[in-house]
Formats: sequence, structure tokens, C-alpha cells
Amino acid sequence: MEDQEILAKFHDPAARNVAFNQLVRKYQRQVYWHVRKMVINHDDADDLTQDVFIKIWNHLEGFRQDASLYTWIYRIATNECLSWLKSKRHKFLLPLTDVTAELSAQLEADKSLAGDEIELKLQKAILMLPDKQRLVFNLRYYDEMPYEQMAEVTGTSVGALKASYHHAAKKVEAQMLQMVG
Amino acid sequence: MNTPFNLDEHRRNRPRPTLAPPPERYFEQLPMRVMQRVQIAPATIAPGWGWLAALTAPMRTALASAVVLGGFAAAFWLTPNAPLTATSPDALARVPQEQLLNYLLTTDQRITLVDLAEVPGTASATPASTYWQASPTELRELLDQQSADESYL
Repeated sequence: MEDQEILAKFHDPAARNVAFNQLVRKYQRQVYWHVRKMVINHDDADDLTQDVFIKIWNHLEGFRQDASLYTWIYRIATNECLSWLKSKRHKFLLPLTDVTAELSAQLEADKSLAGDEIELKLQKAILMLPDKQRLVFNLRYYDEMPYEQMAEVTGTSVGALKASYHHAAKKVEAQMLQMVG
Repeated sequence: MNTPFNLDEHRRNRPRPTLAPPPERYFEQLPMRVMQRVQIAPATIAPGWGWLAALTAPMRTALASAVVLGGFAAAFWLTPNAPLTATSPDALARVPQEQLLNYLLTTDQRITLVDLAEVPGTASATPASTYWQASPTELRELLDQQSADESYL
């Protein structure tokens, strides 16, 4: 189902639930993996993914279609992730390294990474980036999102995003050189 | 010398991130779980207060502060003035001199002419002369008889 069709049905009270169910089915994988790459742990990603869709339900009525539905959903997911990570630090009064260490420990517990030392080190190197830079890195490196769309999702200029990604990639490569070499 | 790590080359070899996939049938069940939550969420809000949920957190905090401050202001303006205590100097000043003298003379207070003579402003007051039945000269003589120490007690 196309986004326009989903939105039209959502505005019809009789078809609202069906439309929203279609929306969740269409975007759930993208939202889940976007969130999962930021929080690493499946349970946290599950909670946040549900929260993202609850927010979408609550605000879809007022969605003005200035951006595409896809971009708007990504923006909500991005903001939820950043808020969650921020509150996690404030809640436990942990410095950056402690949250990174906690997420890093979750990476080591991830069965899929067991035995793949290079990939595990790469994921750990990515975790060392500040949250916003890590988000930019994930959107570009893994999701291959165009910079223009990233600008809409993050509310940052294309130039700043290019610079941020460039710095992030250099940091990750330098970290990998240190860890692998 | 360490071998430089190239991100682009690495991606070509491993196109997807390798985190463990979610539990089996997770994506089949997720829409149903989300739908359950969105159906429950509106019912938890009391009717008539739904607009509160639409406000952002800072707006709700500001609104709560305004309500509390408004409550204090209303309580302040609506509370009648506190009754004046009997010892308040302002309250005593508002009692007419004549009424004070009546009270002192008619109640069982041990008021002497000397006491009355020491009340400022009463020496020439008309009502006092009614009760003193003493001339200014007699009063002055009585005051002169008091020792200095006693007059300060």
C-alpha cells in the first residue's frame, strides 16, 4: 500500500486501524533496525520501536506532509533513540564511557558476532562515536541514505552532515587500525 | 606496520550489520502488539483531559506551575484580613481615649490618680477631669511625692 493511500485511510475513522496496521507492517523493519543499531540490545530496541509507533499513531492526524512519511517516521525514531540514550546517561549519572562500555558488553553477548572478530571490533569502534555522530554514520554507512534525506531526518545541513560523516569514518578507521593492528 | 582499515572495502564484503536477528516471528507479532497498545492508550486518559496529553512536557510543567501560583494568589486575595490581636499597638490607638478611661475606671483595676496623670495627653482631657476630681496643682503635688525610682518601675 502506498503512503498516500495509508494516510487517506487513516483519516477515515472506519479504516483507521487497518491503515495503521499497514503502516506498521511497512516500516517496522526499518524502524527496528535503525533503533537496534543505536541501542544494540533487542529488548530495548523492541520497547523503543513500539514507542515510536505509538508516537506515530498519536501525531499522524496532524502530519502535514511537508516531508515524506518515510522521512517523518525516521525522524521520530531518531529523536526517540537520542532521547533514550540521553536519559540513560542522566538516570544513572554515567559518563559517556560507561554507557559505551555497557553497549559494548551487549555487543560481546550478541551471538551473531561471536567468532567474527573484525566485525565485533568495528561495531565497538562505531560505539565510541558520540551518539549524534554514530547516528549519522549508521544512516550513511549502513542505510546508505542520501545526504538530503539525512538532512530532513536530523534537521542538520547537508554540509554539516558530510563533515560529520567524514570525521566519523576517519575516527572509526583510526580506531580499527589501533585495535586490529 | 599496521594494515589500514578501509570502511568501503569492508562494506563490500559484509553488506549488512551482523547484530543477531530478533526472535523468530517477531515482525509478525509486532503490528498486533502495537495495535493493542494504541487501543489501550486513549482509554487511560480521563474524558475531558485529552488535551493535556497533546501538550509537550515543558508546556505541561509550565501549566502546572501557573495553576499552583494562581492558587496561591487567589488564596492570598480571597483570605479576609487577619484579626488584629489585642496587643496590637494600632488596635489600641484606634480605641477612643474616653472608652479606655471608662474601661480602666469601671473594671477592677488598681488605677490611681498617679497612673492616670502619667497617661500622655490626659492631663487636659475633659473626660479625665470628670473622674479625677482633682485640680492640676493637686496632681502635680502627688507626682512630686513619688520617688524617682518608683516612677520608673
